[in-house]
Amino acid sequence: MNLLTGLILVVVLFALLRVFRPANPLLTAILPGLVAVGLLAAYHQDLLRLEFWAGAVGFVAILSALLIVMHPNPMVSVLFLILNLFCIALFYLMLRAEVLAALQVIVYAGAIMVLFVFVIMLLNLPAEEGLGAGGGIQRWAAVLLGSGFAALLVFVLRHRLGRPYFEPGSFVQEFGSARDLGMLLFGRYLFAFEAASVLLVAAMVGAVILAKRRLQ
Amino acid sequence: MDGGLLWILVESSVKIALFFGVMLTTVAYMTLVERRVSAWIQDRRGPNRVGPFGLLQPMADGLKFLFKEAITPQHAHRAVYLLAPVIIFVPSMVTFSVIPFGPSIEAFGRVIPLQIAVVDNGVLIILAFASMGVYGVALAGWSSNNKYSLMGGLRSSAQLISYELAMGVAIVGVLMSAGSLRLTDIVAHQAAHGWNILWQLPGFLIFMTAAFAETNRLPFDLPEAETELVAGYHTEYSGMRFSMFYMAEYANMITAAALAATLYLGGYHVPGLAALGLSEKLAAAIQVLAFALKMGLFLFIYVWVRWTLPRFRYDQLMNLGWKVLLPAGLLHIVWVAFVVLMGWA
Repeated sequence: MNLLTGLILVVVLFALLRVFRPANPLLTAILPGLVAVGLLAAYHQDLLRLEFWAGAVGFVAILSALLIVMHPNPMVSVLFLILNLFCIALFYLMLRAEVLAALQVIVYAGAIMVLFVFVIMLLNLPAEEGLGAGGGIQRWAAVLLGSGFAALLVFVLRHRLGRPYFEPGSFVQEFGSARDLGMLLFGRYLFAFEAASVLLVAAMVGAVILAKRRLQ
Repeated sequence: MDGGLLWILVESSVKIALFFGVMLTTVAYMTLVERRVSAWIQDRRGPNRVGPFGLLQPMADGLKFLFKEAITPQHAHRAVYLLAPVIIFVPSMVTFSVIPFGPSIEAFGRVIPLQIAVVDNGVLIILAFASMGVYGVALAGWSSNNKYSLMGGLRSSAQLISYELAMGVAIVGVLMSAGSLRLTDIVAHQAAHGWNILWQLPGFLIFMTAAFAETNRLPFDLPEAETELVAGYHTEYSGMRFSMFYMAEYANMITAAALAATLYLGGYHVPGLAALGLSEKLAAAIQVLAFALKMGLFLFIYVWVRWTLPRFRYDQLMNLGWKVLLPAGLLHIVWVAFVVLMGWA
């Protein structure tokens, strides 16, 4: 038993109370809150350990990922996706890839998700009926791909379990700095980098041409 | 908990508390400055009844906002509606935390950097959090369930995406000349080789234009254009929640002014100060004061421009961002690269 499992159980307790006793805000808010404060007081040593934070961020990442798919309102789904991308940025930070973490926030959370928000606002989608949406071939494809991904996860986890999250000592000095990242991008991976940018320009020009043709 | 960690916690808490006090006071008094300067420009008197020269006006305004009823529209998306003012306010505060407002000083036997968060990639972190503010505007517009709010939110997301690019491209010039993403390095480079504004004037102008657009200030305040959209994204907000948007706008202005001073006006550097031979603490105090003055200059320009220029039309705004500022910024990068390659800077 450690702080992380305790807090996860508190969140589960909160969710169960919300579902089965929604009319009692006192019970749903205060009881889990008190349990959480008690846990923090009892296991405050855990707060200084990286494993705790990695686990906590991972838990938030998984929870937000589930809510992206399950939340009936598309705009709230997008918000959870932003939260999820933030969690991934935090993982990069824990792995000492600071530039990558900042770029993750700038590019994904800051730019691409704004376009998602823009499109959803423009379409003004009605709230879907939760998990009931979609059907037929889509559902079967989802089951197939989902079980494939689950099998992959089990395979990976069986090889990784029991080992530490990562060994900070194994990183070279300056790992993940802007200078080293630039050296790799414009040196060793120059071709892949330039090819990707040409691909993006081609896609952009294509999108503009398609949109303009429809206008005429 | 060992002594070193405790010291770091104490030092950071003191700095954060001071920062919040100074920042919120400045935000409150910027509203007064805005109203007084606009009155001066329009040949009026402005607020001059509450306290001497109207100096207590911000307090009166704050009290008024606190006692106003905070209305939630019936068809608003409640959770997002309540979250939006917070989302817009937090990034405007976070971005300032990485800006150095003075040199490191020695006190209590430790070296204390006059900067809240000492990070290696300050510029990137500023860009990352500055891009978060748009969600506050967009979500406020969407969750209010009002067509004018929605139009404001839509406009802001398109506008901020467009001008973020121009701003990033302008900042690249500064990064190339300093060769570092650390803001203290950028200041040190300018102290050694002259302020960036002297030879990166195009970059500075692009940066300032983009900063006006990013902070939703006139002539780029399309998201809240009151002649077309009532009040844009914050039409449905009232009371303290409404004033959160205002505080965020002024906090954003202050951060943008601090960033402009750091990137182009040499930050806390004062030319010729080292030759005077002052004690370290006095010199540091003068430098912090100089930084505040440079920020004040930019803040005055913000107000001045707002009460001088008319608002852009939406297509003019987009054309300016994509067809003028972005190509100009790319040309500017080529110019800076040329200068750096020739070894002139």
